[in-house]
Amino acid sequence: MTSFAGYVFLNTAFVLLISPLFISLIKKAKAWTQGRNGPPLLQTYFMLAKLMKKEVVYSSTSSVIMRISPYLNLTFLLAASVFVPLLFIPEPAAGIGNVFFFLYLLVGAKFFMALAGLDAGSTFGGMGSSREMTVSAVIEPVVIIVFATLAFVFKTMNLHEMFAQSLGASLPLNPAVLLISISLFIILIVETSRIPVDNPETHLELTMIHEAMDLESSGPNLAMMELSHAIKQTLLMGLLINVLMPWGLALEAGPVGIGVAAIMFILKGSILAVVVGFIESSLAKMRLFRLPALFMQAFFFAFVTILFEVLGRL
Amino acid sequence: MLLLAYLIPGLIILALLPLRRYPLRSRSFLNLLTIAHAAIYLAVTFFILLNVSLPRYFFNERYLFIDLLGAYEVLIASIVFLLAALYARGYIQSLLRTREIDGRNLKLFYGSLNMLFMVIALAFYANNLALFWIFLELTTILSAVLIVTLNAKENILAALKYVFIASTAMLFSFIGIILMFAITQQALGAGTLNWSELMVQAKTLPASLFILAFMFMFTGFAAKAGIVPFHTWLPPAHAKAPSVISALLSAVLLNTGIYGILRLYAIAHRTSAIRPISFMLIAFGVVSMGVAAFSMLSRENIKKLVAFSSIEHMGLLVIGVGLGTPVALFWVLFHTLGHALIKSLLFFSAGIVHHQFASNKYYDMKNMLTLQPVASTGIIVGGAAIIGTPLFPLFFSKLFILVQLGELSMPLLFLVLLLLLIVAAAFAVFLVRACCRGGEGEPTPPYRVPWTMKAPIISLLVLIVMLGVFFPQPLNVLLNNIVAGLGF
Amino acid sequence: MIFVPYDLIRVLFVLVLCTAALMITQRSLSSLFSIYAAQSLLLAFIALALLWKTGIENLAFMAGLTILSKVIVIPYVLNKIQKDIYTKRDLEFSYLSPVSSILISAALVFVVYKSFSTFLVDLSRDKVFFLGAVMGVSLVLIGMLIIFSRKQMITKIVGYLTMENGVLLFSMFIAELPFIIEVLIILDLIILTLISAILAFGLDSSMKEFHRKLNPFTFWFKK
Repeated sequence: MTSFAGYVFLNTAFVLLISPLFISLIKKAKAWTQGRNGPPLLQTYFMLAKLMKKEVVYSSTSSVIMRISPYLNLTFLLAASVFVPLLFIPEPAAGIGNVFFFLYLLVGAKFFMALAGLDAGSTFGGMGSSREMTVSAVIEPVVIIVFATLAFVFKTMNLHEMFAQSLGASLPLNPAVLLISISLFIILIVETSRIPVDNPETHLELTMIHEAMDLESSGPNLAMMELSHAIKQTLLMGLLINVLMPWGLALEAGPVGIGVAAIMFILKGSILAVVVGFIESSLAKMRLFRLPALFMQAFFFAFVTILFEVLGRL
Repeated sequence: MLLLAYLIPGLIILALLPLRRYPLRSRSFLNLLTIAHAAIYLAVTFFILLNVSLPRYFFNERYLFIDLLGAYEVLIASIVFLLAALYARGYIQSLLRTREIDGRNLKLFYGSLNMLFMVIALAFYANNLALFWIFLELTTILSAVLIVTLNAKENILAALKYVFIASTAMLFSFIGIILMFAITQQALGAGTLNWSELMVQAKTLPASLFILAFMFMFTGFAAKAGIVPFHTWLPPAHAKAPSVISALLSAVLLNTGIYGILRLYAIAHRTSAIRPISFMLIAFGVVSMGVAAFSMLSRENIKKLVAFSSIEHMGLLVIGVGLGTPVALFWVLFHTLGHALIKSLLFFSAGIVHHQFASNKYYDMKNMLTLQPVASTGIIVGGAAIIGTPLFPLFFSKLFILVQLGELSMPLLFLVLLLLLIVAAAFAVFLVRACCRGGEGEPTPPYRVPWTMKAPIISLLVLIVMLGVFFPQPLNVLLNNIVAGLGF
Repeated sequence: MIFVPYDLIRVLFVLVLCTAALMITQRSLSSLFSIYAAQSLLLAFIALALLWKTGIENLAFMAGLTILSKVIVIPYVLNKIQKDIYTKRDLEFSYLSPVSSILISAALVFVVYKSFSTFLVDLSRDKVFFLGAVMGVSLVLIGMLIIFSRKQMITKIVGYLTMENGVLLFSMFIAELPFIIEVLIILDLIILTLISAILAFGLDSSMKEFHRKLNPFTFWFKK
């Protein structure tokens, strides 16, 4: 049990530490493609620190939801981070690691964020919440199918076991994994509100989907919302990386193993972050009503992958 | 060398067309070349039928062969070609005068027409299913080009619809062909697509797979033959095309589809899958006749009326093929001959009427009998012949096919008789509407019909009456041999 | 990293079907042509992978022919024709919304899979060949969906070309046809595309323009 507590502590701390780094990396990559230098790599840390020092202002029409939802958000995501081992794979504990549980945690966090957006009573917050929920309603079937395919391919529903298997096999276990990674990448883009789904750097409220929900937060609350966004990004990136290229992940807890795993993950994560940044720079944001078409293509892709790769092998 | 006799005139004409020297620029010379081409075909086919012992194989039995059924179909086609080429002489002249066709497109027209002759003959002489498919696709393309030579936008739409529906269905047909190849490969070791080999080996083919392949192949050939539900291209294409092309389309191209279905059925007859296939064919035939019959009742355009009548006759032919008895097949073959001649007559007459009244609709036709006696006779006699009046060939074929149908199932016979009655009524109504108007207004100047347009109509009239009254013995022998050769 | 050829083929299958799905939701005409070119390229790769595994040289010719005709010639022709129509329309309008089209295509693929597994399993040597047959027919059906759900003629032509790709795929996996037949089929396809494209052009332009274009096509028929 102690080793599991140790795992929880280490994993969560690692996630908290490196999430802002990846966010800065993406911003830096986008800046490079635009020909500017961009903010320094540690900028997100500075921003979070600055926000923690500011005071919280609540709208007079807001309720208790506004006050607790940042904490709830962060808690859900930190709980979810236990499901995605980034440093080493712990011994199995009951229920931890189930893919659908992970999904529900992420959705729980999103739910409270949407509620917070509505709670302040501003129009833009409500608009952001409704858009976010529309988009996520359409992407959920795709996510479920992709996770189901993952479960099919690895013959387990436990993320920890999936990573262990992926680690154990010499190379991509199955070309299906390659195809699944493409779907996972699309999900990464959608769930973390990147272009072409949503522009995370827009200042215009009418073009916001995700950002609009954060408009009314201030001070430490805003810091927690930003941090939870970064954690979600890291977790989904971690999922993609460890399914596809898990080398470096340690199988048991040893200081050397953990050190190597940390460095490898930061390396791989940085590369993925830069790739995401480049892809964001090369596409344009899609019209809201064209988004279902994109998601349907991802759905079709995942569906055909199941049919051909999985059923075709049975 | 016999095949060369078919290919050489066509190739010579194609080679000559690009030249710009004087004779080749005049349309009458081009037309003469076409007439000569068709005449050569007719002569060679007669020669083959009378003197050469068939079947004859070429290229090691792999690709082309001449057998009785193919020669018979080419005979029908050549007669129609010759008459159409003759008719085109005057028809194109009038089209040029009314600016419905562009002078620069004449070479395209005659080039495609001659290529169409060649490709149709090759299609009937193909031994290999895939080669047959290729030639059918080529006929689709060539006839679509022929349809768009007219100066009208609706033609382009009609031609596009034709090309799309026919080619899409033919793609399904190709899937069926590949399936057939795979089935024979599995059953025999080496896959084959030759009609002759398939006929021999049909017994060894597994039934359910064969039904699947048959259904796919039937889709394509049925679309070319105008069977419901693949018929939607037929009325626009036949109605908007120049009348000489409509005659070719109705009389010859639909025959290629029926030929394919007939050969397939001959193979199916030898497998154990014959009952569901017969049932399916009869069902499709009855539905086609039904759709055609009911669509004919409210037609205003004479060419559309005749086009739907084509669909109805193809439905009847498919019923006949589905019945599968030697008697039914004998009369199906005879029906193709009679239908080709009568359809050509109808379309040629409709072409004259079109020139006279500048329209195909019945309400524009006034005083038809006095203005155009020859064409009116053509339409009235043709109309009577196409519904199967005695003294005309289709009477016998319809009678005997219906008798065979009655032996299968009486209710079906009554249904088909009812549909035929509706068709007859539709024709009668239209003829009354078209021919019995007139009197008011100033008299329109009669269109002077050149003899080249009258001659085909008159010769067709004579041929039809002769065929209806007197069944030539050589034809009897020929058709019996064909039916026996197909294995019935 | 050595992919067993059959695994590679499976991945390529999925990618081909996804190009088909992309085509259904595409609105811009020029990207349609590039997607079609990509699809044909993938098909050529499948032919090469099959060649690697089964060693039938016919496949090499077919791959080469496919690349030549479908990746280079046909998209080039379509682009040329499209430039003339470009002044009239750029975007596509469809009868079915893209979402429902993709759902229907997913259903079609599944239906083909299910029905073929009752009929065709004995006919194929290996699971991959069976999947190839399913792929081929589903591509044909998706092409037909494109033809029926789009209004503009050029898109219908691309839909027809997709169907032809599907048939080609089907033929690669179920049976090998003699080479001469395949050459003739490709020729036939090129002529068909040319004619349809010219006709599609004719729909939008005046008759004079149309006949002028019809004639240069038969350029050696000068008057």
